[in-house]
Order: sequence, then C-alpha cells, then structure tokens
Amino acid sequence: MIKDIAASKNAGILSFIQALNINRINRIVCSIAKPLSRFSTEGKIGILGIIGIILMAVFAPMITIYPPQKITGDSLEPPGPGHILGTDELGMDIWSQICYGARMSLTIGLAVAFTAGFGGGALGILAGYMGGHIDQALMRVIDVTMALPSFPLLIVISAFLGPSIFNVILILVLFSWAKPARIARSQTLSLKENNYIIAARNYGAKPFYLLRKHIFPEVMPVLLVLVIGISSHAIIAEAGLAFLGLGDPTSKSWGMMLNHATGFRSIYFTPYWQWWLLPPLFMLIFLLLCLAFISRDMERILDPKLKMKKGF
Amino acid sequence: MVKDRNSFIFRLLSTLFVILAINFFLPRMMPGDPFSTTSADEVGEDIIVMTEEQRLYYLNYYGLDRPLHEQFLVYMKNLMKGDLGRSIYYKMPVRDVIMLHLPWTMLVVFGATVISTVSGVVLGTLSAKNRKKGSDKIMMTGMIAFAEIPSFLLGLILLLIFSVYLRLFPLAGAVTPFADYNGPAEQAWDILYHAFLPVVTLSLSQLTGVYLLTRNTLITVTTKDYIRTARAKGLGEKTVWVRHALRNALLPVVTRTGFMIGIMMGGVVLVESVFSYPGLGMTLRSAVVGRDYPLIQGILLIIAVSILICNLLVDKIYGKLDPRVGI
Repeated sequence: MIKDIAASKNAGILSFIQALNINRINRIVCSIAKPLSRFSTEGKIGILGIIGIILMAVFAPMITIYPPQKITGDSLEPPGPGHILGTDELGMDIWSQICYGARMSLTIGLAVAFTAGFGGGALGILAGYMGGHIDQALMRVIDVTMALPSFPLLIVISAFLGPSIFNVILILVLFSWAKPARIARSQTLSLKENNYIIAARNYGAKPFYLLRKHIFPEVMPVLLVLVIGISSHAIIAEAGLAFLGLGDPTSKSWGMMLNHATGFRSIYFTPYWQWWLLPPLFMLIFLLLCLAFISRDMERILDPKLKMKKGF
Repeated sequence: MVKDRNSFIFRLLSTLFVILAINFFLPRMMPGDPFSTTSADEVGEDIIVMTEEQRLYYLNYYGLDRPLHEQFLVYMKNLMKGDLGRSIYYKMPVRDVIMLHLPWTMLVVFGATVISTVSGVVLGTLSAKNRKKGSDKIMMTGMIAFAEIPSFLLGLILLLIFSVYLRLFPLAGAVTPFADYNGPAEQAWDILYHAFLPVVTLSLSQLTGVYLLTRNTLITVTTKDYIRTARAKGLGEKTVWVRHALRNALLPVVTRTGFMIGIMMGGVVLVESVFSYPGLGMTLRSAVVGRDYPLIQGILLIIAVSILICNLLVDKIYGKLDPRVGI
C-alpha cells in the first residue's frame, strides 16, 4: 500500500517533470517557430542557408582536412577522394578555401553592416531629435555621400590606402552609413511629435531616456532591415574589390579565389574553371540570394500594408 | 521649386568638390613622397638613389614643397586646362589614355541603358496588363531573383555558359585581333558581336529596377480618374494605355535612367574586367594592378563627372517631359 502510494507519487512527480519539460521545450520551439512562421518559404530557405554558411565558417577547421593556405596536393587536381573539390594552381585545397573564405565574407558583411547601420542610425536619431543647424548640416553631408559614385571611389581609395581587411571595412562603412542615418532621422522626426513622447517629456523625461526608451526601439526594426541590405552590399563590394585584386592579399576570400582563377592564363580553354571558378561563384550568389530573401521577408513583415499578401 | 533646383545644383557641385578633394588629398596623405622610394623593375636595371639635394630639387620642381592650398589651386588650374597628368604605365598623357578607352565604355553603358530601359518598360507594361494572372507572378519572381545577383557575378555566369561552354561568343576583347574587314558593315558587326555579352550583363542587372518601377507606376496610374474618363469617352484600349497611362508612368522611369547610368558606371568596371573588354574599367583594373596613380585618379574623375552630367541631363529632360515641373 505504502509502496503503491510512493510509486504513484513518483509517477506524479515524473509526469509533472515531463509536463514541465515538454512545456519548456514547447515554449522554446514556439519562440523560434513563431517569428519563423511569418516568413515565406523563400525566407525560410534564406535563414537556413545563412545558418548553414555561418556553421561552415565557424566550424571550418573541423569540416576540412587541409589548411587553406598550405600546399597539400598536386597543382590543379580535379575533384576526387583526396581533395573533394580539387586544388588550385598552387595545390591548395579548394574546399578548405571555400570554408575559410566564408569567414571573410561574413566578417566584412557583419562588421560593416552593424557599424554603418547602427552608427549611422544613431547619428540620424540624434540629428532628427535635436534638429536645427546640426540636422541641416548632417542632411547636406548625407546628400553628398549618397551622390558619390561609391564603387569607383572605393577602388581608388583602397588602391591608395593599401588593401587590408580593416581598410576595406572602414571605407565601406564610410560609404554606407548615409542611408540608415537618413531613414532613422525621418522616423525620429515623425515619432518626436507623437503624444506619448510629448507626455513623457512633460513628465520630465531626459532626452537620453526618451531616445533610449521610446525612439530607439521604434526605429530599431527598420534599421535591422537596412543592416541586412548593407551587409549584402558590403559582401558584394568586398568580392568586387578582391576580384579586381584589391582584397587583402593574405586572406583567402571568395572574391580572391575568383581573382586568382580568372587571372590564371587561359583558364577558359582548360577544364580547370569547373572546380576552381564555380565553387566561389556559386557560394557568393547563394549567400547574396539568402540575404535578399530574408530582407524582403522582413520588409514585408514590417510593412503592415503589404502584410496581407504573402509572397509579394 | 526654385529652392529645390538650387539645392539640386548645390548637391551636384558639392559632390564634384568632394571628389576633387579626395582625388587631390589621397596621394598626398600617403606616407612618404614620390621621390623617397627607389625601385628597379627589371634585374640589372640601375637603382637610382637620390641625394637629399636632388630630392629637394624635384620636390621644388613639381611644386610639392609649397603650401597645400597653393598646390590645390595649381591642380584645379591644370584640370581646367584638361591636363590630368601623365600615365606612368602608358607613358603618355592620362587624357589620351582615357580618350582611347572611353568610347568602348560609352558603347557598353549606353547600349545597356537603351536595352534595359526599353525592355524593362515593355515587360513592365505586359506585367501590369496581366496583373492578377499567373504570368505576372512568374515574371515578377524571376525578375526579383535576377536583381539580387551583382552584375559581375552575372557576367561570369554568362561568360561561362555562352563563351566557354557553348562557344557562341568571344571570350575577350572588343574586336577580333588582326581582322581584315570587308567594309564598315562587317566591322560594325564584329564590334557588336564582342559587345553583346557585356551589354546583356549590364542590362540584365538593371532591368529589374525599370521593370518594377514601370509595373508599379502603371498600376497606380491606371486607377486614376483620367484613365476612367479616357475609357468613358470611347478611346481604344491601345490609346488609353499608350497615350494616357504610359505617358504618365514613364516620368519616374526617366529619372531612374539617370541613376541607372550612375550605378552602371560603377558596375562597368567589374563587368569589363570579367569580359576583358578594353574600356575604362579594364584600364582602371590594370592601373590599379600597376599602381598607376595619375591614371587611377583621371579615370575616377571622368566616371564621377559623367555621372554628374547624366544627373543634370535627366533633370533637364524631366522638366521638358513634365510641364508641371517647369521653372
């Protein structure tokens, strides 16, 4: 009898723990699935793709056998059991280069996007909130920055300053902060007139508190969409610069691989392009398409007018 | 309106000024001066080592010891005379090098502008007419996916498919080397044949913008009252679309074309490198590889100025097309 009670108690506790666990797991699943369910199919593919590329970049040493910058095989070996994607003209493994190259593209994309997106956004919010001459001056600077032909200037500046990852990031930030700044400013201008913000101010809220508590959270989602856009621009720009031979020569980015492959004499008359040129090309396009899908979906989710039409 | 125009001109001028300033200050910001380094390109070439006295003489000769603002004035004066300096690699004035390569770039950019604008408008109109049907949706999905691929990657794909795999188009160059032409028609054909893939690449990368703009403005315009009036007074469907709807929907497309040329002047650098097309972009690439600084600066200036001129032209044309904007 006593045993029975103990057993049933145990069972009760067990089932309680189970329920708790299931609840918790459910909650975790829900918290991930809920925003995901608002994405369209392309958006989900995009997110999966990005996660895949991030995993590839993070675990690059584990999923590759050879270091990317060491000569580990014959020159221009076709794909085979030794080197899954073959080797380049120096005998370096292409699969390793692809995996480590993902790090480069992602680093540049993320670094530029976050610095430019949030830095520019902060500038825009401040200017919009303060108004007056500072605002006017910032607007003029933004106008000029946006009118500059960015890619030719990028080429020239990196040709003069010398190619290094830091320089490339710096230049890209200088050319991409204007758009988030402008949008954050216009958002702030319209938010500032809202009654709840005026009320908060009348209750004695300090400007910094207002910006942090009321304005920044409102501008944040728009900035996030812009950040994705900027990161894909930065990735394109880095790949383009590297393709022109202006990337960091010590790094193996995808653009660098394209540069080496297309610079190889008469590559188009040999079968080498099939395993040397195609992988970085495919990866770059895949990454950009993923980013584009995500940003389009986020735009749609944010814009209530378009929310009804899933897909477009 | 007057204020708008003034700020527009102000923006163009300040942009030009910023580019000139970057062009002027970048080389001077680099550590060292042109005479403090010595180099010999080939083995056996004598390395010229300058004495301090000689270095100062050359600095004085090129005016590099004068204050910056004086140097800037001299630079501007030379620019006004059309003097862009001498190319180190080509060993001739930068202006002549640019003049040699500019026509090819112009051919590609203008070809792409015309093709992408015309086909974008046609496809956009078709799409707007068939809105709510399946064909519009398919077209839209395809177009949007295309837009995300940057032009030089698209160029590489086209090159691999059409030149390398199918061998339909040439791999490089703007004309067949050492060709004997029987008359200008054959020469023109050869030029078009070589320009085809670069032009198609650039057009495809710009097509989506025009297409979406045309489609969306047309859809907005067709809900306007004057379209209903036109239909009500018995005009044919063709007249309504061409004279009433398209006439108004094309206005933003004109503005877009101006911006498009700007974007393409940036993208053409990479696309020309892909196809080894001997335009300004290819020259810029070889100038970058060879560290030919005067040439790099000259090309940047030409690209920037042509973009600004395009913006100005678009502004003028827009005023002519839309009588509401005049003055």
